[in-house]
Amino acid sequence: MTLNLCVLTPNRILWDSEVKEIILSTNSRKIGVFSNHAPIAATIDIGILRIRLNDQWLTMALMGGFAKIDNNEITILVNDAEKGSDIDPQEAHQALEIAEANLRKAEGKRQTIEANLALRQARTRVEAINAIS
Amino acid sequence: MAMAALRREGRRFAPLISPRPITAVRSSPLYPTLEDEGPLGLRHISTQVVRNRMKSVKNIQKITKAMKMVAASKLRAIQTKTENSRGLWQPFTALLGDLPSADVRKNVVVTISSDKGLCGGINSTSVKISKGLHKLNSGPEKETKYVILGEKAKAQLVRDSKKDIELIITELQKNPLNYTQVSVLADEILKNVEYDALRIVFNKFQSVVSFVPTVSTVLSPEIVEREAESGGKLGDLDSYEVEGGETKGEILQNLAEFQFSCTMFNAVLENACSEQGARMSAMDSSSRNAGDMLDRLTLTYNRTRQASITTELIEIISGASALEG
Repeated sequence: MTLNLCVLTPNRILWDSEVKEIILSTNSRKIGVFSNHAPIAATIDIGILRIRLNDQWLTMALMGGFAKIDNNEITILVNDAEKGSDIDPQEAHQALEIAEANLRKAEGKRQTIEANLALRQARTRVEAINAIS
Repeated sequence: MAMAALRREGRRFAPLISPRPITAVRSSPLYPTLEDEGPLGLRHISTQVVRNRMKSVKNIQKITKAMKMVAASKLRAIQTKTENSRGLWQPFTALLGDLPSADVRKNVVVTISSDKGLCGGINSTSVKISKGLHKLNSGPEKETKYVILGEKAKAQLVRDSKKDIELIITELQKNPLNYTQVSVLADEILKNVEYDALRIVFNKFQSVVSFVPTVSTVLSPEIVEREAESGGKLGDLDSYEVEGGETKGEILQNLAEFQFSCTMFNAVLENACSEQGARMSAMDSSSRNAGDMLDRLTLTYNRTRQASITTELIEIISGASALEG
């Protein structure tokens, strides 16, 4: 039984092929999905998606969205996503430092929230690179 | 001998100088004051006037051709984006269904139109459909409000439905369209407008020559629950185990907001594509019309020119023959 994964962002289709297993981090917990999973509609937080093809694990950084799982079809809709292999480590580390700096000097509720969001996104991207290596 | 020949020539030219040589031009409304009666009762149109008109028509043709090419290149750029965004709203429709017939108390019609004109009839069709939806959904218990995107719909709807307009947003395409911008917009609309159902009216881009006016419906979470209970497509929703977050209601709320912003993004892109495509075909037919007009004017010009040369010749000949006696 083959599991088909489709990762979509507003700008492009990031992934559309068969996988063996995925580990999704939803708002409440991480769930692992094999084929013939029960139907699920889940919200995804800013975090990592791990995909297993045969024996190899791939990582993707997702920036929040929804997932629908039914009938061996996984559809993931996110605001933005990047494959771990596409992220440049240097740039990701720099982005993390900038985000941390911004958080420290954020004033007011709105800036703090935005800075927090940016920080989480940067952290996710760094995690995505680390998880492969 | 020579004179006799010239006289014969003169007679040969005579049929050209029929009393009303240039009927096409006379019927055009532009020349009423510029005709004058010359000898032989014929009307002279000054060649200068015709030449000026030809020059301006030629310029118009050049401009419309350029506009067509600009629209074609803009279309190419935005078409790829649109196709990529089409995959985004389809899962939502698969999960939640598209129920245009949902009967709700508070309808909000989001009309998407262009800011610039010269794009054919797409804005008028959108406005017509919006007005139709408004009429369909107004009654004792129901009400419909408008949210307008784009100058053209604003101009048309402000005239007769001013009190029903909630929000007007223009200059959407100042910066290239991207999801962040549209999601902020969607956020604004959701915050400021009470709704049970949002109906987005836009022109779907099927091909370069065909744009289909479409309505996408996004229902609010309460209505989704209501419809789910009554069965049908949404009845399957309950079979989904819902993960993440606290309550099902909250997740449905998030889902509805996300669905709205995705559908909006796609709708705005499709409408932009349709606008460029419609502008291409409008400018193309303009250039073709200008070309036809130019041909007709050239014929007129040549006839005028020949007529004036003939008149001069005849005058010279008759003058010369009169002198000879």
